[in-house]
Amino acid sequence: MSASSAEASGETPSKDPVSGRLLSWVSTVDHKKIGILYISTALVFLGIGGLEALLIRVQLLFPNNTFLSPGLFNQMFTMHGTTMVFLVGMPVLIGFQNYFVPLMIGARDVAFPRLNAMSYWLLPFGGILLYFSFMTGQAPDAGWFSYAPLSTKPYNLMPAQDYWIIGLICLGIGSVAAAINIFVTVLQCRAPGMSLQRVPLFVWMSLMTAILTILALPALNAALAMLMIDRLLGAAFFEPARGGSALLWQHYFWVFGHPEVYILILPAFGMISEVIPVFSRKPIYGYAFVAGSSAVIVLLSYGVWAHHMFAVGLGMGADMFFAVGTLLIALPTGLKIFNWTATMWGGSIRLTTSMMFAVAFLLEFVIGGLTGVMFAAVPIDWQLTDTYFVVGHFHYVLIGGTVFGVFSATYYWFPKMTGRMLSERLGKWQLWLWVFGLNATFLSQHVLGVMGMPRRVYTYAEPGWMALNAIAGAGAVAMAAGTLVLLLNVWVSLRKGERSGDNPWGGFTLEWATTSPPPPENFDVIPRVESRRPVWDLDHPDSADSKFEKTPEDNGWRPDKSVTSVWAFVASEAMFFLLLLVSYVVFNTDQTGDIRSASVLDVARTGLFSIALLGSSFTLWRAESLLKAGRIPQFRRWLMLTIVLGSIFIGGQAIEYYGLISSDVTIDDNLFTATFFTVTGFHGLHVIVGLIALSILLGLAVKQDRNVLSGTALKAVGVYWHFVDVVWIAVFCIIYLRFLQ
Amino acid sequence: MIELIGDKILWNWWSPVWLVALLVTIAYGRRFGWKNHAKTAWLTTGLAVLVFAFVSPLGVLADGFLFSAHMIQHLLLLLVVPLCLVLSLPVVKSGAFPPAGGLSRLLSKPVVGWLLGLGAMWFWHVPAFCNAATESYAIGIVRSVSFLLTGILFWWPIYSPSKESRLPASNAVVYLFSACLGCTLLGIYITFTTITVCPAFASPEERLAMMTALYDAGMTSAVDQQLGGLLMWVPPCSLYVFAIISVLCRWYSVDDTEALALQAKTMVEASS
Amino acid sequence: MSNFPVFDPASPQAEAIRDLFVQVLWISGGIFAIVAGLICIAIWKFRSNETLPTQDFGSHRKEIAWIVAPVIVVLWIAAISAKLVLTYNAVPQAHPPGQQDADLIVTGHQWWWQVDYAGTDIVSANEIHIPTGKRLRVKLSSADVIHSFWVARLARKMDAIPGRENFIWLQADKVGTYTGRCAEFCGTQHARMNFIVVAHEPEDYEKWLAGEKTVPPAPTDAKALAGRSTFLSLTCSQCHAIAGVSADRSIAPDLTHLASRRDLAAGVIPNTPENLRRWLKDPAAFKPGCKMPDFKLTEAQLDELVAYLETLK
Repeated sequence: MSASSAEASGETPSKDPVSGRLLSWVSTVDHKKIGILYISTALVFLGIGGLEALLIRVQLLFPNNTFLSPGLFNQMFTMHGTTMVFLVGMPVLIGFQNYFVPLMIGARDVAFPRLNAMSYWLLPFGGILLYFSFMTGQAPDAGWFSYAPLSTKPYNLMPAQDYWIIGLICLGIGSVAAAINIFVTVLQCRAPGMSLQRVPLFVWMSLMTAILTILALPALNAALAMLMIDRLLGAAFFEPARGGSALLWQHYFWVFGHPEVYILILPAFGMISEVIPVFSRKPIYGYAFVAGSSAVIVLLSYGVWAHHMFAVGLGMGADMFFAVGTLLIALPTGLKIFNWTATMWGGSIRLTTSMMFAVAFLLEFVIGGLTGVMFAAVPIDWQLTDTYFVVGHFHYVLIGGTVFGVFSATYYWFPKMTGRMLSERLGKWQLWLWVFGLNATFLSQHVLGVMGMPRRVYTYAEPGWMALNAIAGAGAVAMAAGTLVLLLNVWVSLRKGERSGDNPWGGFTLEWATTSPPPPENFDVIPRVESRRPVWDLDHPDSADSKFEKTPEDNGWRPDKSVTSVWAFVASEAMFFLLLLVSYVVFNTDQTGDIRSASVLDVARTGLFSIALLGSSFTLWRAESLLKAGRIPQFRRWLMLTIVLGSIFIGGQAIEYYGLISSDVTIDDNLFTATFFTVTGFHGLHVIVGLIALSILLGLAVKQDRNVLSGTALKAVGVYWHFVDVVWIAVFCIIYLRFLQ
Repeated sequence: MIELIGDKILWNWWSPVWLVALLVTIAYGRRFGWKNHAKTAWLTTGLAVLVFAFVSPLGVLADGFLFSAHMIQHLLLLLVVPLCLVLSLPVVKSGAFPPAGGLSRLLSKPVVGWLLGLGAMWFWHVPAFCNAATESYAIGIVRSVSFLLTGILFWWPIYSPSKESRLPASNAVVYLFSACLGCTLLGIYITFTTITVCPAFASPEERLAMMTALYDAGMTSAVDQQLGGLLMWVPPCSLYVFAIISVLCRWYSVDDTEALALQAKTMVEASS
Repeated sequence: MSNFPVFDPASPQAEAIRDLFVQVLWISGGIFAIVAGLICIAIWKFRSNETLPTQDFGSHRKEIAWIVAPVIVVLWIAAISAKLVLTYNAVPQAHPPGQQDADLIVTGHQWWWQVDYAGTDIVSANEIHIPTGKRLRVKLSSADVIHSFWVARLARKMDAIPGRENFIWLQADKVGTYTGRCAEFCGTQHARMNFIVVAHEPEDYEKWLAGEKTVPPAPTDAKALAGRSTFLSLTCSQCHAIAGVSADRSIAPDLTHLASRRDLAAGVIPNTPENLRRWLKDPAAFKPGCKMPDFKLTEAQLDELVAYLETLK
């Protein structure tokens, strides 16, 4: 797909056509090409993940089947889940966001094109790391949520689990970087007149997704870091036999995992919020409600993680509170269905493939949502959690929701991306194959769950479960066939598809104001925006929205992009440290044994070094104000002083570590040392990164670099540096001064 | 259970809170009058909740018997009553609130409101302070008063009667969301910690009939503290989410042109 | 309904959950019918025509109006589940002093269940015997990774977690055998970690209990005697315990009354002498990856061991 779309986009071929074209893709920083790379990579992994799903279905076709060994089966479902979430779902959505968010807000590119390329390349890198584990003889096999202690060394000796951890950390860093990019792009690069209350809903949902990603991924990263320290350095965070906790992993994983569900579904909400209005030839019904309720989902999604843990025995109170939270979050989610239906109501509906996928989304997603509400009724969850009922439920959400949304968007936006239409006839084939496949597979699985079939079993003995498993298998084949139809459709269309023109559907938003495919700079003239549907306004001057619906005006203010991105990064890092500190508190409320914070830490000495670190915040602030006043030599001196103070702190930490390690206090001694070294180690790493950044700034300042002297770079690094200091204050109070003990 | 609530011991009819309510009513009437019914309704609700928090069994149980009852009282005093009181103030054009002056200008800063609002929450749950406030009547009064005052300061940047002292929408959302995070952390800590956060409740000096009944139903002091932690966590966060919804409504509404112009102004100031 | 254990409850708790489930199913079905109906009507009634439809941006009043019904539904579901949580889950962690903290202690192992009958010396595996009509307090824990204890017809599901104790009520109204499974993924043989709960009339239960309390008499048969010495001389006794013999490890299932159990290897095969022989010969053939090694026993050793183990009634 990639090579041919380059052709379609009319690139000037370089001297050596093949390698030149390849190089243009590998070295690209164009958001549209990166978007296509994301989508193509996701498609490759969809093939792999789909194959794993088919193998799973074959193994479960009849009782006591021996097609796959138990070990291989466990690897298959682990890799299927991990692949579909991290290598298919997130990348394909980020791909569409990459391509269309800048176009829809009238920008020439994302805020940080090079960061964008880095985020993308972390994806194949992480994916290959994950799949490289097969070379070690065995893929990860602890399930996509890798519950500890099953994923810890005593129960999982193979290196596959380590590949899983490292691969996921790579993918996590890539996702956070991509999310920060989208976040800043939406806030900073909007066309004149486009206030945040006027952005297309797909853009708004992308913004919400970015916030979710920035704040949720660090929870996973913290958990992965701890698991890795357990596995590779012999700590015992998750080993109950050595005082660790078997539940902490679950808490952290689901603090990430539940927002993750919304990371996967909100962009799909955005997609069909674009498709349904266009094919109903009406504006979205209740824009503010659809957008605002998504913001509420973002907030609530952090408070419902424990509904994945009703069966672990958290107690009645916790169960009920989380149940109520879950039921609450169902409201803003479910009520959007009414908005979409009301948008169609009274419209003039064209049932194109794209629209039909959107309608299929509504119907199937409602089923997934309703079974979700069933799980929020705690006693039902007690019976049905960890059965095939759950598997059925979340596939209705993720296929009926995310996948159908993506298909809808594919048929809607493909003409914009390539300048050619996809075949409607093949599209309908794909639609019905998928609708049949989805319901055959996952409706059967709901029934299997009620029949008592637990999930993740490699085989079963009950003959009564065979028929439904066979139907589920047939459905899986239908979905695979549907995917092949899509590939065929794309292939045919790229070769001899009908030319689409700039705006084949009568779209409303800015991406339709440019050519198909858009030129590298996106727009010749960036249009002025006066309503939520700028292209509609151009096409229908008499009934332009700006005359009928008043929306808040753009005040013209845009934040500085480097400072905004650092704030977003700092927010993400704050979550990371917060979770590490929480684990410190969890494991150290009552310390016993010889090695305790009171017995091994020298509070006075570290206090002295802490003063150096805090002092460096002051000197940096001083440097900033001197730069603002234009007193460059003094500014350089104070910046230098900041670096010296930071280095003194790091030196102090090195002395402390040396002292501890030489008196045989190491990370694998007990939970105090494990948490102590983890928290202070990560903090030290951040200080070192900050020192490097400050040194680069100093070097550039000596060379009279204009960017540095303009002050924004210093301001951005300053935000980070002050943050690192604030974290240290918390670390010092909790670990050294033993607050909360 | 019903007959237990009817128990005379559980009602504190002679609480001095009546006097406070009366004084507030008189002061409000003299300053603003009673013309605006919506505002009067907010005031009435606020004062009714205030009186309820002390006079009803809730107030009595909160006084050293049940940690979870204490937590409900705490939330009413810190969040609900101040919110109602702030909302009961009539909208003013500009400048009238807060009266100009060093201290009041400092107190109307959002950072201060946030720190004091959350600070009160954290401070009074340090075991030593929590115990002292429960055991000593005087410190208990200090605590209640500090809840009410810091609560007003907390809500001020969101619902201040003067539009120019309100935070712009994006900042208001961050303000409320981070506050939610703050009480979530405290709630999680109280719920899951093995430490007794407020020893006064774990071993009350005397037992009421109601408590024995509750104990038999499984309400041990550990469960009581867990429940208290959850109450610290979920209801305030729900309240903050509702506040965020109201901020978003304000943000999307267009008639508020005045606020928008102000928002532009503050943002430009912030950026420069 | 026997194929649908969730709909075929045999205890008050499971019945209450079933009732709740059925009610929520009806509510969900109703909601789906309304939503799907509205969508279908919209598609049919407003299919494409050439005129430009009225541009309707929405109305706050209507939106608020249609929030009301979902809020009521959600509150209702919260209320009925809260009622159930509070009545049937009420297993206070603290128990009145003087009473034992549980009637049964169930410990999950990779991949079998250990059952201790509190107040007695009885230890068994993969089979739980209970009297009918009595509510028993079960303490759940795990020796290795997280498992989940699930007897769909009798009780809620509850995880067995290492380093933690969970409690549930277990009760059966009718005599019968109820299937239980491990519901949390716990490694290679998660699929084959089943157990049964056998409910007896109270007097039969007493009889069973008495039988279980007695140590099986030493074998008299020569072959069985030889089997016993094979059991003790090979490493069997490093993992398995048999009361009355110098074997008291509890890493693997207790074999004291092995011959009286229904199944072998956590519900994998029926317990017959032939199956026992096949199992001993090559455990991995039935349960690949299981912790019991293949001892490469000779045919004679197999015969002796089976003869001995079959005496353990």
